[in-house]
Amino acid sequence: MRWFLGVVALSAMAVAASAQEAWRARLDSELDAATRVAVLAMVDSARVARLPAMALVNKALEGAGKRASGAQIVAAVQSLGGELRASRTALGHASRPDEITAGAHALHAGVDANALGKLRRVSVGRELTTPLTVLTDLVARGVPPAAASDAVITLTQAGLRDAGFSKFQQAVRLDIDHGADPASATRIRARGAVIGRGGAPRG
Amino acid sequence: MPEIDHNKLDEVVSELRRPTPLDASFDRRVMRAIRAVAMRPLRLISPLMPMPRWRVWSAFAAVAAGMLAVSVIPAFRSNPAQPVQFVLVAPEASTVQVVGDFNGWNARHAAFAAENRGGGVWTVTAPIPPGHHRYAFLVDDSLWVPDPTAPRVADEDFGHPNSALVVESAR
Repeated sequence: MRWFLGVVALSAMAVAASAQEAWRARLDSELDAATRVAVLAMVDSARVARLPAMALVNKALEGAGKRASGAQIVAAVQSLGGELRASRTALGHASRPDEITAGAHALHAGVDANALGKLRRVSVGRELTTPLTVLTDLVARGVPPAAASDAVITLTQAGLRDAGFSKFQQAVRLDIDHGADPASATRIRARGAVIGRGGAPRG
Repeated sequence: MPEIDHNKLDEVVSELRRPTPLDASFDRRVMRAIRAVAMRPLRLISPLMPMPRWRVWSAFAAVAAGMLAVSVIPAFRSNPAQPVQFVLVAPEASTVQVVGDFNGWNARHAAFAAENRGGGVWTVTAPIPPGHHRYAFLVDDSLWVPDPTAPRVADEDFGHPNSALVVESAR
């Protein structure tokens, strides 16, 4: 049986390898030779380091799609590679690829790596992709990174699930769109979400 | 060095050179055995393989099962896609395309071309694999617009902001 399962796994790996060939072909067709070589080197390094290398491929393809120069693409991929490493260090090596990618975006937005570590510590075993995505959104909408981190950590600690995080993000976005101060909107909506969970609000 | 008994040696050689008597059916039996092997090629190669024949057959079966599992049976797929609706209100637009991680930032992907449903409301529903994705709308092949209702990604490396999408696994 073990033998049988081993061969099934090898077959699945063969199919995955063919998918990999597809994105390599896309890079070949979208990037000039020098940019392609530099990007592939960074992608291979990320794969060796067991980082989510597809995030780098997507960044390069985004640059090509947006008609960025080769130098811009290489710089963006390099920057994201560093953020993926920092994200995994902060979130822990057992983190899922999507969590690491979402964490990298949070770091890029200006969130402190210590905040990511704290988020992981208060939510062991919980999938953090959505909380990290909401955290990045808050900072991108003008909420100071420390205030945004506090809110997301508090909500995660209170046991808010992904659907609750989505509602929280939408409420804060609408408040900001209507002219509210981003930090105040975040603090007030976070208190409301915690009360809604039956928890005691902080601050 | 011991002395060789040439007479004894000659006797042995002549005995070895003596034709072995074969019965009349020998040729027929050899040819039947060869034909039987030719009918089952696996028997022919099995002596070359350091594994029993049943293992060779089970390997073929396992490869077939693996291919079937990853390509046909949705439950075995690592990324069963979920339908996601994208909506943008753009009354002045002539074309709206959804472009992102899920389609390799390909602005010509037909499955992600939005349709004008009237009143300037552009929409498309497309299958998106589970996971974290970044995307944007490309209006009139020239203007990049983030999804106003989706979380933002602060990654304006190429001068245009993106939106984030997290698709949950169906399981």
